[in-house]
Amino acid sequence: MAELPLETEETASDLPEGLIPPEHNDDGDTESVEMPQGAVAPAQFGPVVLRERFLIDASQPITELDTQSAKAYVAEDRRDLGRQLYGLVCTPGLPVRLNSIKFLKAHNSYKILPLIDWDTVYWPAFEQKTVIVIFARPLGGRLMDKLVSKEVTISAYDMPQRIIAPLADALQRLSNNNLTHRAIRPDNLLFFDERMEEIVLGPHVTAPAGYDQPMILEPLDRALAQSAGRGPGTSRDDIYALGVSIVFILLGANPVAKMNDDELLKARIELGSYTAICGSARIPMQLIEPLRGMLADDQSARWDFNEIGNWLTGHKINPLKKRRRGRAESYFKFQGVDYYSMRSLAWQFAKHPNEAVKAINSEEFDTWMRRGLDEPEKAEAIHDAVLTAKLQTDSYQGTNDYLVALATAIMDPHGPIRYKGLAFMPDGYGAMLASEWIRNSNQQPASDVLLHDICTLWYDAQPKMTQELIESRMAITQLRSLLTIRDPGFGLERVLYEGNPGINCQSPYVVKNGVVLIEDLLPALENAANSTDTSVQPIDGHIAAFVAARFKEDIQTHLKAMASGKADTSILGTLSLLAFLQSELRSPAVLALSSWVGGLLGPAINAYHNRHTREELESDIPRLVRKGSLPELINLIDDPGKRKEDKEGFIACRTEWLDAEMEIRDIEGAGDERLNKAEQSGQQAAAMISISIALTVITVLILTKLL
Amino acid sequence: MSNTSEGINWNLILGIGAILVLLTAFSLPSLIVLTVGLLPTGVAFIVDRSDQKTGTFCVGGMNLCGVFPFVIKLWAGKHTTSAATEIISDVLSLLVMYAAAGFGWIIFLAIPPVVATFLSVVAQTRVKALRASQQEIVNEWGPEVANVNGTDVIEDVPTLDQP
Repeated sequence: MAELPLETEETASDLPEGLIPPEHNDDGDTESVEMPQGAVAPAQFGPVVLRERFLIDASQPITELDTQSAKAYVAEDRRDLGRQLYGLVCTPGLPVRLNSIKFLKAHNSYKILPLIDWDTVYWPAFEQKTVIVIFARPLGGRLMDKLVSKEVTISAYDMPQRIIAPLADALQRLSNNNLTHRAIRPDNLLFFDERMEEIVLGPHVTAPAGYDQPMILEPLDRALAQSAGRGPGTSRDDIYALGVSIVFILLGANPVAKMNDDELLKARIELGSYTAICGSARIPMQLIEPLRGMLADDQSARWDFNEIGNWLTGHKINPLKKRRRGRAESYFKFQGVDYYSMRSLAWQFAKHPNEAVKAINSEEFDTWMRRGLDEPEKAEAIHDAVLTAKLQTDSYQGTNDYLVALATAIMDPHGPIRYKGLAFMPDGYGAMLASEWIRNSNQQPASDVLLHDICTLWYDAQPKMTQELIESRMAITQLRSLLTIRDPGFGLERVLYEGNPGINCQSPYVVKNGVVLIEDLLPALENAANSTDTSVQPIDGHIAAFVAARFKEDIQTHLKAMASGKADTSILGTLSLLAFLQSELRSPAVLALSSWVGGLLGPAINAYHNRHTREELESDIPRLVRKGSLPELINLIDDPGKRKEDKEGFIACRTEWLDAEMEIRDIEGAGDERLNKAEQSGQQAAAMISISIALTVITVLILTKLL
Repeated sequence: MSNTSEGINWNLILGIGAILVLLTAFSLPSLIVLTVGLLPTGVAFIVDRSDQKTGTFCVGGMNLCGVFPFVIKLWAGKHTTSAATEIISDVLSLLVMYAAAGFGWIIFLAIPPVVATFLSVVAQTRVKALRASQQEIVNEWGPEVANVNGTDVIEDVPTLDQP
């Protein structure tokens, strides 16, 4: 097989200006990665400033340091002009690996390109803010470029000490901090120094784990997933990528460059990754054993850091056991192609679910499973699934997609979860959802994965539950519970932010502000207040979910108030949450946001019954709006003492009003009875007058006679 | 045990009977003048069907005013049956007695409507005052204060101190 240089290097220059080369067309399931138009900043854009210290010059791109998902530009440290830096401008809407960014910024990791700083910065070409990561510039360039141009050679004898030992050490340090690199590829190995002696791992934080990786550099189980759904995986996945990279470096090219992705995937499934990739290449004898170990498709059999260390130090290594590959003696024909293994057939079933269901229902398939593969238990499980689906025709459990998801999980339990055209590893669900939602605007299938509990089918099909699987199952279960709640702060938005710590808030109010950290939310809302329709509440479903996922304090009571059907309680919930954020995050004054919220407080003010209290509040609000203090605004509107006083006064006045009403009804409602009473009173008065006159006259007469 | 039976007040009858017997025995001339002079009161007593007998009191009071001067004249002059007969046979005396009774009737007929009108005016004034008070309350607290069944108060929302 002819050896060709890495294709990515060759094709990049052929693309039109403004576009990053499309992602390697790896497995046919994956989406293409496309930078927005204008990713390459025209020369008229001046430098942008990051943290008032680093200048990123949009007019000076460094194409040789571009990654699949981020463009590189010259950066300058204002405090140290001699420092060689560059900035990677990330693709908006693509989650960055925030945990890794924070770790690398805090720790100067050994043999990993030093990450100097990062922030979300307005990038003129995108006309919005995006994450920019500042790295120390690798002065020696890319390792692969230097190998191709023969500027440097690395022999099989150099390999252990120049490549394997330092990079394995770097990966182990990441692993010790529960991190993986997941972007190890030949074109991402860099010479840090100008003399090209020190090799470091290139940037891996600008896209989800495995997102930028060509299919060949992903272990087989994750290679079958779509690029966004490959997941962070474990250090063994990094070791696999390191192994493939070593092969490339040894040979100076991709040994299987002529095979397309489908052919290569099929070969990897049928023959094993090592044989498929290295089968026709001349691998030095001393590296065959470590490469076999590092390229093992069975993750539990793949070499770990201990075995690499033992090999490097000359200790005895347990030979890799020959494992049964699950290849049948007979074939099963599907879509005109003969398949000998369940794994390759499952891969194709997921691509053609309707035809797959016909095949699953056929007797030939059942016979092939039982006799050809000698898997009667799996054949029985699929048979039961078919019968169950026939009984559930009215629900999602009777659909072709569901049946295919179940069948493929049984046939290929180590492969990705496959449902409705999606293919992802459980730990890659978050990034897959982000990709489907933000980049493809098609979140429903990803939502259905959780709603229909598809992951449980996959977990139940696992032959052995490892600690990683148990943890990922718990995480998926938690995401599912968040999805089923309909209140603000929950739902699919919450799943998006819980599953992607590095994604920016997707609310239309702030999406162009690239809000990745909770501290940036209020300033972004303040900015949005000047250009948004302020007749609606400033917290929508995305912002509520973003705050719930990112804010460390408990905000359930605020969310509950926001969910109230009463307009006054809802706006008070919104205001109290924003005030809580401003108070806890020590945010500066937010004049425009205060004005926005202040304009929506009508229902909350009207909830006070007393007119004078309302007038007082209405006159005080403009003063507090001018201060930009949301806590003071909520304290004014929702003063418990004032509210109690209003409530008690209202109850007292209602009683007074009722008493008056009763008396009025008593007076007016009497009718004839009242007239009779008046007449009786008149008669009594007349009698009293008459008696009084009589007594007076008698007394006067008697006295007159006596005197 | 009650002394009344089927509307007949036996105590009153016995009391009046005893007085009549005593007056017959000790002051027959006065009894003659009173009996003739207070005839309108007797008629009023029979005609007045009300419980409180206010009409009887009205007529009786004024009737007594008309009769009492002649009784005094009897007591001050000759207290004899002939003197009594002379008084009751004098048309002018009878006119005075019965005119006084008539004045009593006039009082009885004229006063109640005046008093009723006065009381009605007082009630209307009171209703106006109460309505004004209610309107003031509504102005101050909003129309929901007149909503008898409503409990329109603000739900609790979280405060900054108690998230």
